[in-house]
Amino acid sequence: MIRPVLARREKVIPGTQAVAFVVGIAVALVLGVVLLSTSGHSPAEVYERMFDSAFMGSDSLARTLERATPLALTGLAVAVAGSMGLWNIGAEGQMMAGATIAAGVAMVADGLSGPLLIAVMMVCGVAGGMVLMLGPALARSHLGVSEIITTLMLVYVAIRVVEWLETGPWKDPDSFGFAVIEPVPEQASLPGLFGRANIGTLIALGLLIVFWLAVSRTAWGYELRLAGSSPNTARYAGISLRRKILTALLLSGGIAGLAGAVQLTGSATRLESGLSNGYGFAGIIVAALALMRPSGVAVAAVVFGAVQVGGQSIQTLGVSSAISDILQAMILFGALVAAVFFNYRIRWTGPAGQLPGDEPEEADLAVEGA
Amino acid sequence: MASENADHAVWLRGIEKQFPGVIACAGADLRVRPGTIHALLGENGAGKTTLVNVLAGVYRPDGGEVWVNGQRRHFHSPADAIAAGVGMVYQEFRLVPSLTVAENIVLGAAPRLLRSSEIENRVAELSAAYGMAADPSRPVWQLSMGERQRVEILKALWRDASVLVMDEPTAVLTPGEAAELGAALRAMADDGRSVIYISHKLDEVVAFCDEATVLRLGKTVATVEDLETVDRAALAELMVGSSEGGYVDRPPPIEAGGEALVLDGVSALSDRGLPALSEVTLTVRSGEIVGIAGVSGNGQKELAETIAGLRSPTGGRVELNQQDVTQTPPGARYRLGLAYVPEDRLGVGLAPKMSVVDNSVVRSYRSQRQGLMLVMAQCLGFCRDLVEKFGVRVGRLHDPVAGLSGGNLQRLLLGRELAEQPSVLVAAQPTRGLDVQGVAAIQSHLVAQRADGVGVLLISEDLDELLALSDRLMVMYEGRVVAELDPDAATRGEVGSAMAGQVSA
Repeated sequence: MIRPVLARREKVIPGTQAVAFVVGIAVALVLGVVLLSTSGHSPAEVYERMFDSAFMGSDSLARTLERATPLALTGLAVAVAGSMGLWNIGAEGQMMAGATIAAGVAMVADGLSGPLLIAVMMVCGVAGGMVLMLGPALARSHLGVSEIITTLMLVYVAIRVVEWLETGPWKDPDSFGFAVIEPVPEQASLPGLFGRANIGTLIALGLLIVFWLAVSRTAWGYELRLAGSSPNTARYAGISLRRKILTALLLSGGIAGLAGAVQLTGSATRLESGLSNGYGFAGIIVAALALMRPSGVAVAAVVFGAVQVGGQSIQTLGVSSAISDILQAMILFGALVAAVFFNYRIRWTGPAGQLPGDEPEEADLAVEGA
Repeated sequence: MASENADHAVWLRGIEKQFPGVIACAGADLRVRPGTIHALLGENGAGKTTLVNVLAGVYRPDGGEVWVNGQRRHFHSPADAIAAGVGMVYQEFRLVPSLTVAENIVLGAAPRLLRSSEIENRVAELSAAYGMAADPSRPVWQLSMGERQRVEILKALWRDASVLVMDEPTAVLTPGEAAELGAALRAMADDGRSVIYISHKLDEVVAFCDEATVLRLGKTVATVEDLETVDRAALAELMVGSSEGGYVDRPPPIEAGGEALVLDGVSALSDRGLPALSEVTLTVRSGEIVGIAGVSGNGQKELAETIAGLRSPTGGRVELNQQDVTQTPPGARYRLGLAYVPEDRLGVGLAPKMSVVDNSVVRSYRSQRQGLMLVMAQCLGFCRDLVEKFGVRVGRLHDPVAGLSGGNLQRLLLGRELAEQPSVLVAAQPTRGLDVQGVAAIQSHLVAQRADGVGVLLISEDLDELLALSDRLMVMYEGRVVAELDPDAATRGEVGSAMAGQVSA
């Protein structure tokens, strides 16, 4: 019986990634034609509207960038942990924690000048994300507790804490009874770039460049990649796995926390329980699309942001939000599947049980030598 | 034909199995009579695991015939083999920790609509029948390794296996548990079932088994009909054969220098927490090759790892160039002059998914820095020199090393370790699985290092290699150095006896 299996590519052909990405999205769009026509819409009109609203004109581009900014930061957060083989599923929560600390500091330090206050809030954002990550990071590095579970669980803790602050201690007395927190001080708003875009986009871009260089070009990044790809080789080279796990996770949490502070001082006006808005979870998809590489995160975040903006705008054409969500999911799914083919290829294999990753010689040695 | 085979529980006839770049089985034969325990012996990479995986339906043979209970079989999957009565107990247990013993045993083969208490009763009956105590209602995560193994065996018996394959079953057991296992296997044999028993431990093989088949380089080289009459030393010698092709001869001994590496009463535990090294004392001087012989699993791996700093000793001292390094981490030991070629080339020595360049600087990346940045040009230059000097055949330097052949991996690894002139080289199985050219290249490098005054500790399972290259030869058995021999005077037979634990005083 001949059946297809995925085999890891031994040679990675440059440019495959871009081609696979475009093909993946194209296939999804073709399938979307079926979806749209059966639900009574004109695919051409819908796709044109999606594209225009996401990319055509400075306002559209600004909207896409506004969406892409937090996605780039949370995507980077997930990717930094991912380059070490760790999964930070809780960027959503760390984003909230960062925003919360930043908002709290803004309340007491509202006398500071704008740039200084913004800088302080950014630092607090990073600190907030790191604090929420501290428990999972230590549990992972010293006790081997899966960070996937712990980071995820803390998401709900962080969101509930904000809900409690909203309805309790931080409830704005001037809110006419609404359960909201007072807006961040006027001077703490990030300066705009054009349209709805603000300099948060530049912060994200700068950080992406810093991490791209750090991971690919520094000794620190080399150790991180080595530890992530082959832990025993890293140990052999004298690298402390514990410290690497700890730093990767804390940095990941810090970056997600910064996303919270950027969102708070950028698009949002006040801290609220809906501030993270799924950006943290979406960051996992962004990082996966980017194959855990900081260099890919920028592209993936813009694509994701554009799909969201486009998906929203087609609702003005009468496309229901459900159909729009399905379409968005299909496009991202297509791109994700394509990402798989960057590292793997399809191989047709005969006998049962002979899997592609099976290096029989190694398997033999591993089993017998244990 | 069928009548001729009817009296065999298993007949594997001329099994051939090839993997990309490796011939695992080259016409291996195995005949097992019903009601017997049959040992399958051979060194690492001899093809034992591949052969039993053919029997278990995991691999399909390229050639040869599989007969089970007198019938020719073509297994397409492990399920086919199970249906034909072949039960496999792997070294890594395949149990669900959160399920109970009974649930694990019947998983996938449970009678429909049966109450769990009734299943538990039937499991209890089965375990009682073979003297394998196992509380059916306990979750598996609470069990010891020995109890888990019993569950694996019961799983096979539940599926009515007439042939049970055990892959190094006692590696995870305490001596007491091993004896219990032996009794349980005997009970099964008396019941008419047959057992194929893979092990490196000759003591056990002689104690538990009736017959034996020895594999070497994928071929059956000997069958032993009556294990009670056979000499253990002869078995050991049969297992460690010689590879094809010549051996680089070492030039006449030069004056060995000062003590480069000293181990004083070093003990260590295995990954399973069982004692693996006991009070090993040895010295390697500059300019000599000290060989370590032994049947695999007698502490060689732990010895290498303890010297390299990857395993903490439970007692004793390790000295490198007259400096106590017992507590020194692995990176610092390298900087003090200790080079290490580990047994696992890919996964320990080299990171499979990283590029040739990245792998070439594993030891030296700290010196390829400028400020925080790694200087790519410098790394590339370093890598190019290394590839050229050691004749590593590579495609592009930015491709992952997983695509390289065994010989080229080893050239890259050895070259990297030798790049900064070490004073001690520990090489574990450096030529295992390499082709003739690769073997010769690696051996000449070892000899050249010796000429340069490096102290070399060569751990190998290739007896001829050890006899040709070593200035002194030590034999390990059950975690101890049991003999030190002069390789020029010792015969293969003498080394074989020592490897089997028979030391003539």
